[in-house]
Amino acid sequence: MTKIEYFSSFILPCVIFLAGIIFLFPKKDYFSSFIYGAKEGIKSGWSLLPTMCALTVSISIFSASGLSDFLSKILNPVSDFLHIPSEIFPFILTKPLSGGASVATYEGIIDTYGADSFVALCASVIMASSDTIFYVLSVYFSESRIKKTYYALPCAVFVFLFCVIFSCILCDLFF
Amino acid sequence: MLGKCFGIISCVSIIYSFFVNTTSEISTAILAGASKSVTITLSLLGSMAFWNGILNVLKDCGIIKKLSNILKPILKLVFPNAFKNDIAIEEITACISANFLGISNAATPLALSAMKKLNESNNFSDRANPDMIMLVILGCSCFNLLPSTVLGIRNAFNAQITYQLIIPIWICSGTCMILGILLCRILGKLYDKN
Repeated sequence: MTKIEYFSSFILPCVIFLAGIIFLFPKKDYFSSFIYGAKEGIKSGWSLLPTMCALTVSISIFSASGLSDFLSKILNPVSDFLHIPSEIFPFILTKPLSGGASVATYEGIIDTYGADSFVALCASVIMASSDTIFYVLSVYFSESRIKKTYYALPCAVFVFLFCVIFSCILCDLFF
Repeated sequence: MLGKCFGIISCVSIIYSFFVNTTSEISTAILAGASKSVTITLSLLGSMAFWNGILNVLKDCGIIKKLSNILKPILKLVFPNAFKNDIAIEEITACISANFLGISNAATPLALSAMKKLNESNNFSDRANPDMIMLVILGCSCFNLLPSTVLGIRNAFNAQITYQLIIPIWICSGTCMILGILLCRILGKLYDKN
């Protein structure tokens, strides 16, 4: 396990080392493209704020009312059957729908149960490994005016469900 | 869509709170929630700016093209029809390379133009063909080389476990991608028969 951790600690420095090399031997001024990208990053983070503001409030209401605990209790048999923590349900319901909402529910989980709790770790792996499938499907297909999508949606949903279960198994193994 | 999300979650929670008498907690949560979203976004802006900048440097020095060349032989097996008839190969490989690196603002336009070209070869019908569905599935679940947003959020909450998550994320996203490809190919074969 420690070997994996040791290896993991190399990944981010390697990327920055690569970027540093690119900065050092320039054919053109790459720092300006860094600045451009960073500006875009701030813009997209900033544009997320209004959505986040509304959804963070509603997620806070959801957990403060006690409804989230109540629902987790009800869904316990389902989550036991699938071997996933029941507190993760609000997150996996919003993840396929919208990027902003899933960030809000993800942060809700971290805020309530702690960033290093098992639920938060599972949510982190799901967050990074899957995308907003309904959004991707609608954008890709509507742009090319496809109406009959055949097995695309069931396939995407199946892969997402597999991702949820598999990430919980992985977190169980790793941490 | 998001309005409905907000409406359903808030209204149902507030009605529930009337029954279990937690309205005072809700009042505090409403006031705290809005300001919390700002503090989180602000602490996230730094890492979003930094990683977006780094990815943009990598993009500008042609890493997508290099990755595309490596991936091309593999993608030949995934998109057999598109490669056989030479349709949108450049777009498809570049789109998937951008997805690998998590540069979604580069991946989406590439994917859309690939979809358009694939649709052209499809005589602009309103039916999806297996290659189009494969591209969509790869857009939904793609290998994630650099999960910078998730790590940024975790860091904003002072998590102890951050970079250690990269390996599980690689395994999970890689397996999901392979599963998606296999499922797509199997279902595509069945679709071709009918």
